[in-house]
Amino acid sequence: MSPQSFAPLPTADAPAGSPTAALVLEGVSRWYGNVVAVNDITFALGSGVTGLLGPNGAGKTTILHMLAGLLRPSAGRVSVGGQPAWRNPAIYRFVGLVPEREAVQGFLTGRAFVELAARLQSLADPAAAAARAIATVDLDAAADRPVGTYSKGMRQRVKIAAALVHEPSILLLDEPFNGMDPRQRIHMIALLRSMADAGRAILFSSHILEEVERLADGVLVIHAGRLAAAGDFREIRRLMTDRPHTFVVRSSDDRRLAAAFMTEPAVFGTELRDSRLTVRVAEFGGFTRAVARVARDAGVSLFEVAPTDDSLESVFAYLVSRR
Amino acid sequence: MIFATIADVTLRALLGRRRTILMLLLAGVPVLLGLLVRANGDGVRDVAATLDGIVIRVVLPLVALVFGTAALGSELEDGTAVHILTKPVRRSTIVLAKILVAGTLAAAMLVPSTILAGVLLGRPGQLGVTFALAIGVLVGSYLYVAIFVALSVATSRGLIIGLGYALVWEGVLAGLLPGSQVFSVREYVRGIADILNPAAADSIVGAGAVLYAAVALVAATAIASVRLAAYEIRGSD
Repeated sequence: MSPQSFAPLPTADAPAGSPTAALVLEGVSRWYGNVVAVNDITFALGSGVTGLLGPNGAGKTTILHMLAGLLRPSAGRVSVGGQPAWRNPAIYRFVGLVPEREAVQGFLTGRAFVELAARLQSLADPAAAAARAIATVDLDAAADRPVGTYSKGMRQRVKIAAALVHEPSILLLDEPFNGMDPRQRIHMIALLRSMADAGRAILFSSHILEEVERLADGVLVIHAGRLAAAGDFREIRRLMTDRPHTFVVRSSDDRRLAAAFMTEPAVFGTELRDSRLTVRVAEFGGFTRAVARVARDAGVSLFEVAPTDDSLESVFAYLVSRR
Repeated sequence: MIFATIADVTLRALLGRRRTILMLLLAGVPVLLGLLVRANGDGVRDVAATLDGIVIRVVLPLVALVFGTAALGSELEDGTAVHILTKPVRRSTIVLAKILVAGTLAAAMLVPSTILAGVLLGRPGQLGVTFALAIGVLVGSYLYVAIFVALSVATSRGLIIGLGYALVWEGVLAGLLPGSQVFSVREYVRGIADILNPAAADSIVGAGAVLYAAVALVAATAIASVRLAAYEIRGSD
């Protein structure tokens, strides 16, 4: 795999396999029959929060499941805390997993579910540990109700409590914010941040850019099973906004505006077809700063300026194509 | 401690209301038959053959199949098993707890059913035969459950394959190819009854039944543990 084109994660400079790298993938691939879900990925993460960002189906869950020892890598090595993840239940003493699927035995109360996790961890005082974990996720009020009566957000929180009950040094979360309301999200972001500040390594997956931006120190962008980018979030943000863009513009005089745009260095080309002005630009930021000035100088009123390919999917495709 | 914790939550999951009622109804069928026979006369001539035909051939494998595949297989299917799998617990501990609970639950329904049906169906003096068969059913409950637990870890189609084994292999093939009875749990059950009371069954495996049953029980438990240790979660993207 080629080296990153920009600074690696601040916490990822430990060589793969060294004791300081909590989560390590070395040339890891995973395929199901002929379908490649994860394609030759290498990274090493230390403490802090890292976001695993990518569209649905990119391979995020496969990566988390391999790190959690629930999937065998088809090629390469996966280790957590310096130990191999596959076929090694000993890792669960210091690893906590919050799976995406909601599956929790519905007949158990929230408290019983978290206590079950504490007992299976052989903790000295399972009841006290469960009470602490439940308080941490702010679920005391509902703790003695069956999980079957919980909302999606509450089920998410009770799973997090169960994963935290043994105070793991490594926490893996698959789409942890799904189903949470904004208040719960803020609470959870604060909780994960404080855990990271205490020296834990936290890796969470998300397909929502803003979630990753608010929580993560570093980010791994996954697209179609490949590592599209890795590093500091601001760096990724800049790459995303500086990529070539296409805009659709509606104005009082499209023809005149198209001519005016052609003198702008940020603009590749314009096209006027079916009374629709399409502008191809080299750089998102430069164009958005220039567009109002160009229109004013040309004496044209702008009605609408809309980027046509701002989906996360196209952002990821672009990041992959530049590597 | 860990064993008891897993056993406790497994028992509570298995006692889900609808499944328990259905299995109690199924285990009640031989008793119902006994009541009908008793109401119309003074019992059947060959209680051993009747119990063999209804309990050992049909009710025992079906009840064990349902509890055996539900104990671990359905938790693997619906994802709840992940919470147990991601704990520092030996996989053999998980498997043993599952087999013990599901086997005990099956036996708790099937052994009383066998004895009650035998008492109702039989004539005085045939109690020995009934008790011999009941012991066979007790062993068979754990053995069938162990095999079906192993099957449900090894494949997501444990229920179908288990049903095929009970119906086709034991039901049809054992009659056509008597040699295949050496690999038939039903034959071990009958063999154990045969050892305890020669009038209870006429088994070709005979005294070897105990050995075969022990080997099958250990093998099924070991296979389930090994497969669970290398279990790969389904439903990743």
